[in-house]
Amino acid sequence: MKFKINLYKYVILAVVFAFAGCDDYLDINENPNNPSEAPLAGLMVNSTYESAQNTFRMGDITTNYVQYLASPNEASSSDIMDPVSYSGTWGSLYNVMTDINDMILKAKDEGANHYEGIGQILMAYNLAMTVDAWGDVPYSEGFNFVTVTPAFDDDAQLYTEVLNLLDQGIANLSAETSTSVGNDDFVYNGNSDNWIKFAYMLKARYLNHYSETANYDPVAVLAALDMGFENNEDDAQVEYFEEQFNPWANVAIRNADLVLGGWISEQFIQALDGTTFGVEDPRLPLIVGATDDGEYIGVENGAGRGNAPEQGARSTLETGDFYSSEQSPILLGTYAEQKFIEAEAAFGIDKSRSYEAYLEGIRAHMMKVGVASSEIDAYIGNAEVSMGVDNFTIDDIFKEKWVALFLQPEAWVDARRFDYNYENFDLPKNINPDLNGMFIRRLAYPDSEVSRNGSNVPDVSLLDPIFWDE
Amino acid sequence: MELKNYLIVILAVFQFTTLLAQQNTVEGFVTGAENNEPLSGVNVIIQGTSRGTITDLDGNYQIDVVLGEILVFSSVGFETQTVPFTGQSTINVTLVEDLESLDEVVVTSFGIEQEKKSLGYAVQEVGAEEISQTKQQNLVSALQGQAAGVQVTNSGGAPGMSARIIIRGINSLDPGADNQPLFVIDGVPIDNSTIESGGTPRGLSNRAADINPNDIESMNILKGAAATALYGVRAANGAVIITTKKGKAGKVRINFNTSVGFDDINQFPEFQETYGQGFSGVYNPDSFWPNWGPSMEDINAIDPNVRFNDIWSDAMRTGVQIDNNLSISGGSENATFYGSIGKLDQEGIIPFSDWGRTSAKLSGEVIFSEKFKFSGNINYTVSGGNRVPHDRFMERLVYWAPNHDVEDYINPDGTMKTYQNTNPIYDARFSTYEDEVNRTVGNLRFTYSPAEWLDLTYLVGTDFYSDRRTEITPGPLGIDGENPLSSTGFITETRINSRDLNSNFFVTLKRDWTEKWNTTLRIGNDVFERDYERVDATGQNFVIPKFYDLSYASQISNSQDKRKRRLVGVYGDLMINYDETVFLNVTARNDWTSTLPIGNNSFFYPSVNLGYVFTENFEQPDWFTFGKVRGSWAQVGKDTDPYLIGQTYASPNIYPLGGQVGFTRFSQFGDLELKPEKTTAIEFGTDLRFFENRLGVDVTWYKSNSKDQIIPVPVSTSAGFSTFVTNAGEIENQGWEFILRGTPIKEENFRWDVSFNAAYNQNEVKSIKEGIEEIVVGSQFGYGGSSVTIKLLEGEPYGNIFGTSYARSGADANSIYLNEGLPIIIGENGFPSRNSSQLVLGNTTPKWIGGLKNDFAYKGFDFSFLIDFRAGVDQYNQYDNFFSAFGIAEYTLNRNETIVFDGVLADGSPNTQPVWLGQGEGPDGRDYGAGFYRNTYRTVSENFVQDAAFIKLRNITLGYNFQENILDVLPFNSARLSVAANNIILYTPWDGFDPESFSSGAGGNATGLTGLGYPGVRSLFFTLNLGL
Repeated sequence: MKFKINLYKYVILAVVFAFAGCDDYLDINENPNNPSEAPLAGLMVNSTYESAQNTFRMGDITTNYVQYLASPNEASSSDIMDPVSYSGTWGSLYNVMTDINDMILKAKDEGANHYEGIGQILMAYNLAMTVDAWGDVPYSEGFNFVTVTPAFDDDAQLYTEVLNLLDQGIANLSAETSTSVGNDDFVYNGNSDNWIKFAYMLKARYLNHYSETANYDPVAVLAALDMGFENNEDDAQVEYFEEQFNPWANVAIRNADLVLGGWISEQFIQALDGTTFGVEDPRLPLIVGATDDGEYIGVENGAGRGNAPEQGARSTLETGDFYSSEQSPILLGTYAEQKFIEAEAAFGIDKSRSYEAYLEGIRAHMMKVGVASSEIDAYIGNAEVSMGVDNFTIDDIFKEKWVALFLQPEAWVDARRFDYNYENFDLPKNINPDLNGMFIRRLAYPDSEVSRNGSNVPDVSLLDPIFWDE
Repeated sequence: MELKNYLIVILAVFQFTTLLAQQNTVEGFVTGAENNEPLSGVNVIIQGTSRGTITDLDGNYQIDVVLGEILVFSSVGFETQTVPFTGQSTINVTLVEDLESLDEVVVTSFGIEQEKKSLGYAVQEVGAEEISQTKQQNLVSALQGQAAGVQVTNSGGAPGMSARIIIRGINSLDPGADNQPLFVIDGVPIDNSTIESGGTPRGLSNRAADINPNDIESMNILKGAAATALYGVRAANGAVIITTKKGKAGKVRINFNTSVGFDDINQFPEFQETYGQGFSGVYNPDSFWPNWGPSMEDINAIDPNVRFNDIWSDAMRTGVQIDNNLSISGGSENATFYGSIGKLDQEGIIPFSDWGRTSAKLSGEVIFSEKFKFSGNINYTVSGGNRVPHDRFMERLVYWAPNHDVEDYINPDGTMKTYQNTNPIYDARFSTYEDEVNRTVGNLRFTYSPAEWLDLTYLVGTDFYSDRRTEITPGPLGIDGENPLSSTGFITETRINSRDLNSNFFVTLKRDWTEKWNTTLRIGNDVFERDYERVDATGQNFVIPKFYDLSYASQISNSQDKRKRRLVGVYGDLMINYDETVFLNVTARNDWTSTLPIGNNSFFYPSVNLGYVFTENFEQPDWFTFGKVRGSWAQVGKDTDPYLIGQTYASPNIYPLGGQVGFTRFSQFGDLELKPEKTTAIEFGTDLRFFENRLGVDVTWYKSNSKDQIIPVPVSTSAGFSTFVTNAGEIENQGWEFILRGTPIKEENFRWDVSFNAAYNQNEVKSIKEGIEEIVVGSQFGYGGSSVTIKLLEGEPYGNIFGTSYARSGADANSIYLNEGLPIIIGENGFPSRNSSQLVLGNTTPKWIGGLKNDFAYKGFDFSFLIDFRAGVDQYNQYDNFFSAFGIAEYTLNRNETIVFDGVLADGSPNTQPVWLGQGEGPDGRDYGAGFYRNTYRTVSENFVQDAAFIKLRNITLGYNFQENILDVLPFNSARLSVAANNIILYTPWDGFDPESFSSGAGGNATGLTGLGYPGVRSLFFTLNLGL
C-alpha cells in the first residue's frame, strides 16, 4: 500500500511540476522573422519606392482613358471604360499610406522632423491620387486599426487635408530634425530644400484642380508655384534599379515575350505624327517604339489590334525609350507640369505670362526626354505651336500638357477637368453602353472594399464626378 | 489548476485490494482448434483476480491457483474458455477461433490496442495486405476507397506527387488551414505536410510518402472527435494510426518482393484533328495559333508535307516504376526484431519527371523481465526526384501547333528548336527542380509493469528531416538566334530543416472489480515541439552560361523563415467494461500551446462514449450473431500557427534596392485575445452481424460543429491591415457512413469476401463574422474573364465555385445560384449573352464517396478488385477553357457552321437569327472577328465548371500462391506471383484528363481547380514475393 500512495504523490507532483515551468516553456511566440518595430529609414525606403510604384499603377489604370495606350484586344474592359475592380492598386495605395502613417507617428515621437515632413508630403501625394480616382475614401478612421470597417470621408474635405498635410510638411522640413534623411529617400536623397519645392509644386497642382469649382483661386496657385520647382533638375522622380526594373520597362519586356501590353493608342500617335495638329513632334520616336517597317501606327481604343499580328506591326512601349527603359525614372512631379499649371492659372490673369509658361513647359519636357535643342527650336518655332499670345487658347495648354504627362495619372485629372475636350478625341469603340455615350468620370470602388466594408462604400456610378469635376 | 483536483478525485476512486496466498500449481498446453498447433501468448488469468500468465512459444504455461478458482484462457481472435480448478495437475485447452472478434483488435491512441467491440465510436482498419495490394507508393493513396467517410484524392499523376486525405469533411473556414488528419506511427505523430514549389506547380510530395508502405502492418482511421480526443489539438481533423511490422518470436523469416510497373495516361480529352496552324482559317507555319487555321486538306494543298501530329501522346512516354523490398525478422521469447530495406525508382509519363525512395527500417523489442519491456524503431529515408513544371509543360503543349513535331526539340548546339513557341519538352528537360529529403523517424518505448494492475509507459519519438531543393532555369547560352527559356536564368537553392520531438508518459491502471466489472484508467502527459527553418537563396543572371552556381550569378536575393511551436498536454482516460456488454469511456484533456497568447493558451476538453452489445442481453434468432449500438459526445480544442499575434513589420523581398532595405507594416494583424477553436461532435452508430458473421452492417451518423474558428478575416486595407486573425465563424459537417460486409461463399477451396462502404457528407458555413460577406479559398485563371473563384458564404456549403455564366431569361436577381433550367438570353448579335456577375456554378466537395472491394480465393489463386467512386462534385476544368480558346477541343469542329442559338431574345421571343461560328468574314458577309469560341464560349465559366464524379477501378489483382507440392522442391517457404492494374476510369461524365487532379497540392483547400495538372495515369504491375 505504501508504494501505491507514493505513486499517487509522484504522479501528482510530476503533473504539478510540469505546469509550473510551462509558461516559460511556452513563451516562444515572438516572431523571429518579422520585427515588431521598423526603423525610420526602412519606412522611408518603402514609402518613396512604393509612391513611385503607385504612380505607375494608377498610370497603368488611366492610360487607356486618356488614350495614351490602347488594348491590343478588342473591347478590353479598361479600354471601353467598363467598371473594373482595382483591388490591387487600392490595396497598394492604402499599404503605403499605412507605412507613411507609421513613419509620421514614429518621427513625431523621435523629433525626426524631416522624416515627418517628407511623410506628410508623401501622404498628401498618395491621398490625393486616391481621391482623384475614387472620390470619397477612408482616411480619418484608417491606418491605425481603430475599426475593421473605416468610414468614407468626403472628397472635398480630404482635399483640405491634403493641403494641410503639405503645409505641415513644409513647416517640418523647415525645422531642425533629430535624424537627417539620407539615401533611404529614393526621391531626393534627403535634400529638404527639394522636398519643400516639391511640396509647393504639389500645392499648386491640387489648388489648380479646383478650376471648375467656386473655390478656384488662381492667385493662390501662382503663389504656391513661385516657391516650387525652378528647373528640370528639381523634378520629383524615382530612378529604377538594376535589381528592379522600371514597371513600364517590364510592360515592354513582357510585351516582347508576347504577354501583350503597352500598345500605343492611335489617338496619341496621330496627335504627335502631324495627323491631328499638322506638326510632327520630335518626342514621338523617343517615347514610343516603331513598327518593323519603321512606322508609327497606333491602335484604336476599344477596337483591338484586329488582324495585326502580336508583334512588329504596331507601336508599343519599348525598352530604350525615355519612359520605358529598365532604369527609367517614374515621375511624381515635374518642372514641365508646373509650367503648364502656371500657364493655366495665369491664363485669365496675365495671358502673356501664361503663354511664356506654356512654351517653357514644352521646352522643359522636350529637354527632359532628350530632344536635341535644334529640334526643340524647330518644333516651338512652328506656328501650330507658337501661335502667339493672341491666338493662344486654353486648349493649347491642355494639349501640350497631355503630351508632357505621358503615362502619368495626373493626365486623367486634366482630361476630366477639360471634359476630354482634346482635338479629335473620340469615344472608344465598343464603349460601355451604361455610360450613355459619355467618358468615364471615376473608378468603381474595388470588389475587395465592397465585400469587406460594404456598408460604408458609397453608391456611385462611373459618371458621378469627383467634387472638383462637378 | 482545477485539473489537479480532478485527477486526485479520479485516483481516489481507484482502490486496490491486496492479494491472497495459499496456492497450488497447475500447468498445461494450449492449442488452436483449427490446426492443433500450439498457441503462444495466450492469457491465462485467474478469474476475479489480477493474477495471470501467458503461454510460451510452445503453448505451455504454469500458474499458481487455489482450489475453486476459475482459469480464464483468452487470446485475440479466439473464443475465451474458462476451466474451474478442481485440483487437476494439468489443464490442456484447445481454443476455438472466435469469428466475432476476429481482426477486431484495433490500435487507438498511443499504440494502445483495444477491442473494437468496446469502442463507442467508429474506427476502420486497413491491413497490410490491403495496403500492399493497392500497389500505391504513397500510403495516403493506399487508403483510397477503403474506409467510409475518408476522402483521398491524388493531386495528379506525377511520381511522388502528393495525395490529400480528408475525414468527414472540412472543419476550418481558414483557406490556409490544413484539414488533413494527424499521422501517427507506432504511437508517435509524424509530419505529413506538403511544401509546394513557389512559382509554377511541380507536384511535390506529402511527407507521409517517405514511409515505405511495405513496412506497414496496419492503418487505423480514427474519424471522430471522440476517437482523437486523446491526441489533442493536432488530431482535430482525425488521425491515421499506423502500426509498423514487428518481428515475431520463432524462426527467422526473410521476405523479398520485387515489382515492376508501367504507367500511361488513363483518359484523354476529346481533341479535334482537322484544323491546323493559323488564325481566321489562314494557314501560317509560324503562327502563334496552333489550331485556328484551315483544315488539313487545305493546308496540304499549300504544303503536302505538313502532318497533324498527335502531340499529346508524342510528348509523353510510358512511366516505369521498379520497387524492391527485402525484410528480415524473427526473434526469441525475450527479443524480437524486424529489419527492412526498400528501393523504389519511378519515372513519370512527362519526360524527365522522376522520383525515388530508399528506405531502411529497424525495429526491435526486448523483454528484460516480466516487469520491463523496451522497444525501439528507427526508419531512415532518402526520397526525392526531378519535378517537372507540369502546369507549364501542359500549357506549352496547348500552344504547340500539332503541325510541328514536338519531340524534335533541340538543336545540335543545345539551343531550343522551335518554330516560335516554347517547346514543352525542352523546358521540362532544362528547367529543373530537384529535391532530396533525408529523413529519420524513430521512437523508443519503455514499459514498466511493477504490478499486474499497473503499467508505466514512456514513449519518445522524433521526426527529423532536411529537404534540399535546387531549381535551375538556364539563361541564354550565348548562341546567336537562340530562343532562351529565360532572358536572365536563375538558380534557387532551398534548404528546409524540420524537427519534431514528441514525449509521452502515461500510467495505466487496470482492475477487475468483480467477474463482470472491470476498469482501465490511463493518465498521462505529452509534449510536442516542432522546430522548422527554411532558407532560400536565388541568383539571377549567370555570368557563364550553363555554370549554375549562386556564386556566379550577378543578382542575389534571399529569405529566411524560422518557426517554433510547442504543445503540452495532460490527459485522463477511463474505460469501464461491464460484462463485455456495456462499455463506457470518459476522457479529459488539457492542452497548453505556445501559439496563443499566454492566458488564453490553456484549454480543456472532455469526451464520453458508450457502447452497448445488446445481443449479450436479449434472446435473438440464430441468424442474428451480434449487435451493438454506440454513441459519443466529444470536444476537441485547436490552436493555431506560430507568430500570428499582434502587429509586425516585414521587408518585402524586392529589397535590398540600391543598398537600402525597406520596411512595410505586415498586412496581417493577430487578435491579442486570440483563443482556441472548439469542435464539438456527436456520433451514433450500430454494428450488426448475421449468419455467423457472414454478413455485417455498420451505420454511423455524425455531426460536428467547429466554433470560434481562428480565421484570417479579410478586412478593408484602409484599416491598416488586410487580414485580421481572430476568432470568428462556425462550420458544420454532418453525415452518414455505411459499411456492408459479407462472405457470400465460404467453401474449403473457394471463398468470396465483399465489402462496401459509402459516406454522405453535408457541410454548411454557419457564420463568418459580422460585416464580412465572404472568404476566398482560391481562384483560377480562365480566358476572357472566365476566371473562377471558390468562396465561402454564410449559410452555404464549403467549396462553391463562382464564375460567369450565360444570361438567363427570368432569372431571380437575388439568387446567387445559376438556374441552368432557364432559357439563355440571345443578344442582338445572335450570340448568347454573357452574365458577368459571379454566380454559383457548382460545388467542389463530393456529397457521396465510397468503395467496393471483392476478394476471391480459390486454392492457390486469389483475385480481388477495389472500386471507388465519388458523386455530387464539380470542378473547374481549366484544360477545357484553354482547349476552347485555342480551337483544340473536339467540339470546336463546328467552327465553320452557321447555326441558330437556342434561347430567347431580351423580350422573351425565341431567337431565330442564324450566325456563323467561325473567325473573320462569314458566308453571310458579316465580320465575326475572333469567332464564337474566342469571343463568347471561352469567356463563360459555366462552360468549364463540370461534373467531376467518377467510378474507378482503383485496383484489380490476380495472384497465385505456390502450393506446398511445388514449394517442397523450391528453397522457399512461400512464393507468390501477381499481376495488378490500377486507377482505371470506369465511368466519368468529365471530358478531360483524369478528373482526380488539382493544382494546389495536398496542403491546399482549393481542390476543385484542376489547373493544367499532371495527367492521371493507370498502371500495370507484375510482382513476385518470396519468403524464406
